Amino acid sequence: MNTFIVTRLILKDWYLNRALLVAAIVTGLLTLAAVAAARGTTIALILGIIVLVTILIGMGAVIMSSMVNERKQQTLPFVMSLPVSYLEYTTSKVVGSLLIFSVLWLALFLGVIATILTTPWVSHGSIPFVVIMLVEILMSTCLIAAVSITTESQGWTIGVTQIGGLALNAIGFSIVRLPGIGNTIRSHTIQWSRTSILLLLIEFGAIALMIGIAFFIQSRKRDFI
Amino acid sequence: MTDLAVQFAGVSKKYPHFTLQDVDLELSTGSIMGFVGANGAGKSTTIRILMGLIHQDSGTVEVLRHTMPAQQAAAKRDIGFVSEDMRLYGALTLAWHMNFIRSIYPQWDQLYAEKLLRRFDLKAEQKIKGLSHGQRVKAALLLALARRPRLLVLDEPTTGLDPVARREVLAELVAVLADEERTIFFSSQNTGDVEQISDQITFIDRGRIIDSANKETFLDRWRRLRLIIPSNAVLPQLPGVIEVGGSARLPVLTVNRFEPAMVAACQDAGVAVQAVDAMTLEEIFIANVQSRREGVIA
Repeated sequence: MNTFIVTRLILKDWYLNRALLVAAIVTGLLTLAAVAAARGTTIALILGIIVLVTILIGMGAVIMSSMVNERKQQTLPFVMSLPVSYLEYTTSKVVGSLLIFSVLWLALFLGVIATILTTPWVSHGSIPFVVIMLVEILMSTCLIAAVSITTESQGWTIGVTQIGGLALNAIGFSIVRLPGIGNTIRSHTIQWSRTSILLLLIEFGAIALMIGIAFFIQSRKRDFI
Repeated sequence: MTDLAVQFAGVSKKYPHFTLQDVDLELSTGSIMGFVGANGAGKSTTIRILMGLIHQDSGTVEVLRHTMPAQQAAAKRDIGFVSEDMRLYGALTLAWHMNFIRSIYPQWDQLYAEKLLRRFDLKAEQKIKGLSHGQRVKAALLLALARRPRLLVLDEPTTGLDPVARREVLAELVAVLADEERTIFFSSQNTGDVEQISDQITFIDRGRIIDSANKETFLDRWRRLRLIIPSNAVLPQLPGVIEVGGSARLPVLTVNRFEPAMVAACQDAGVAVQAVDAMTLEEIFIANVQSRREGVIA
């Protein structure tokens, strides 16, 4: 694996996404500040969650579909004219997209946790649920990446993005009903139950599996352009 | 032994509606090959196999002594590739692209890049999306040339260019060949461009290489003979006649193995040779394709 060329391609994608990324982080942090300033108003909390989820899912789809866009915008022949194999190109796309999205995800993750910890009207017991849901968004974004990279289809990528967005609600409602999560969500202290740990492990396992499958499928492809 | 920059041996690739069949191709180092074919003939598929972007179903491909597609990354360190369907990043400037390529290719020649900027009348700070089609092609060519590749692979680079831009691009390609170690593989539908700069020519049609030779051989061996056959004379058997046009008394023969002895043979048979016309590469290409399709040439 030529790490030099992979790094160059990741930096190229970082450069292409930088303005959008900064705008998303600033909007997300301003939203959190507004939620904190609203002093626990339910409507502010709901609107805040909607904005944050929209930013994360929307930006996830934009960043993760860069391989489809590269094909659609016909910049793929330019990239593939460089001294790079298709597996190195795939690595740059998977690692790069995840790194770029992780910057946004981590900024909003820390912002959300900081908001919960510093605002007295949000129970600290909700943190495990919030972490599980944020990792679920990360998992959903990895699914978009895997589908985008392996199918190279805009239709499939949009479809998976929509399904991921709808599934978020269903998963949230299902998880909150689990005793290991629901019973501690209004607690004043953070309690990591076995259920919450197990759910996080399942989510990270699914992320690893999706990335692994994407690489496996890519390694078997014979035609790249 | 000739040093080969590109070697295809028995290369095939099958798609549901198109098959590239048994392609054998050799390109010597320092030469420029014009690869001519109609739309859908298999030019781009061949070039993509050459670049390692498509895996051939059978046969072997060696480019700059690298086996393709397995060693494509190593081979592409010394290849400059421009294709008609290649686009640069519209939101970024040409200067960004130049810096990007420079960061990857240690042999990037900044002085040459700046010279090409002036020659192609390009502005480095201009965004790609603001460039015309001709300027985009020239920008892509600049990025390929200034990395000083040993092999330049161009897939229909002059398609859609205005006459001035086409002349600038072709002139630069000729200048590139001043370095005898540099090789160019150049596909085009435009036989005029190919005739102008190539020293080797290969015709492809319906996924098969139908003819390949150096340019002078092509131009020397293809002729049109305009004859007058008197009523008491009979046209003698001539080798390499692939098409007989005109009338029975004033036939026009297209031959692909012309020799001066043919004229003498006609005259000996009492047939008057009115003219022996040289053919353009376009005429040769069309006659070649039609005769192959009609089964005149095996």
